[in-house]
Amino acid sequence: MRYADFTPYDLVLLLQGLGVTVGLFLATSLIGILVGTAWAIVRFYRVPVLTPAITFLAELLKNSPVLVQLFLVFFGFPAFFHLNVTPVEAATITLSANTAAFVYVIAVAAIESVGRDQIEAARVFGLTRWQVLRHIIGAQAAAFSAGPLVALMVNQLQVTSLISVIGVMDLAKIGANLNMRTLKPFIVWTVVGILYYLAAKLVATIGARVENHLRSHSAFRGL
Amino acid sequence: MRLDLSILVPYVGFLAQGALLTVWICALSLIGSFVLGAVVAIARTSSSKLARRLAFAYVDLFRNIPFIVQLFFFYYGLPEIGIYIDALTTGVVALSIAGGAYASDAIRAGILAIDNGILEAAEVSGLSKRVVFTHIVLPIALRTSVRPLGSVLINMVLTSSILSTITVNELTGQAKIVASDTFRPFEVYAALLIVYAALTWLVSIGIGMLHRRLNRDMQPDVR
Repeated sequence: MRYADFTPYDLVLLLQGLGVTVGLFLATSLIGILVGTAWAIVRFYRVPVLTPAITFLAELLKNSPVLVQLFLVFFGFPAFFHLNVTPVEAATITLSANTAAFVYVIAVAAIESVGRDQIEAARVFGLTRWQVLRHIIGAQAAAFSAGPLVALMVNQLQVTSLISVIGVMDLAKIGANLNMRTLKPFIVWTVVGILYYLAAKLVATIGARVENHLRSHSAFRGL
Repeated sequence: MRLDLSILVPYVGFLAQGALLTVWICALSLIGSFVLGAVVAIARTSSSKLARRLAFAYVDLFRNIPFIVQLFFFYYGLPEIGIYIDALTTGVVALSIAGGAYASDAIRAGILAIDNGILEAAEVSGLSKRVVFTHIVLPIALRTSVRPLGSVLINMVLTSSILSTITVNELTGQAKIVASDTFRPFEVYAALLIVYAALTWLVSIGIGMLHRRLNRDMQPDVR
């Protein structure tokens, strides 16, 4: 047997890579959404010093290539802060921060979409600040931001492919390895592409369901 | 642990070369993706069902597969079928095709936003279908889609950094060389982050000016 042939084990490798991609995608999306929302809440309360700092950081993260951010964390942080950063840690930090920056923009717009008068009315009724945030702003902002968030998630799933460059064994890296071993780029990259495509479609489908659910309160019920 | 940006001074010229290549790549890819995007947008709004389907499949595919996978597909795959082009050309082609998918969406939205009354007036005036398209539909659609096309361009500037993975020494590629030359990756990549942010900021200012210039005889911007 030549080592250049495809083996059944390659399928396991591909699925393993897909697992790493999806796992990191889910983890960083969750962290990113939490951090981005927290940043938006800081802005909502107009916390001095923190608000401009967050705005600046978010702008920087949105307007620079993810690849450069990855290099900064993976190569720059160990050299500068004398830390040990593994590829997976660097990928988690970078992707989470990047997602957070985009979530921040969406969350700010969503919070602003809730009218001031509603907040004032709620305060007059004696709701606490937390209750206002949770029941008045949170509920409506979630429905408002569902659409843009799903689009962002589909995009971020593709961005995860960049972490293969710093050596995380995700789907793209497995593809690169198979490509080097078998020298059949057409087959390898087509299969990898299809897997990414299906994953993106899955995210979009699930996202559309969640969006419909969140918006169901304002949907037209029929006459 | 001290941030020392002065180590970058000897490399400013070297990095500027990379920046120029980045600008050159983006200019070429912008033209490519604009032409491709316009053709695909026309196909997507045409009355032929087959053309619409094909155009949709193209956009759907290239928007949902990570750019790095597309790039590797072209870079490693094209030589296999006997097409030998250098890395730079491959990069520009891949960037044009990927950008074309996004550009077509922007242009298509511009075409769909045209008031039916304008088209009916043109038809009543006895203009042929082709003249209506080239002299009425396209000029209106293009100037309303300047801003969305601008964000496609900004994305392209950021995406072009991925070309460094196929040995194209644009800005990120040059910075990688500087980082391994100086052993100061933090300074190099932090500076690179700022440079990219500045670059995209300049592009967005340029787009804003172009948008105002092209739409100067329209109603004032809603802002």
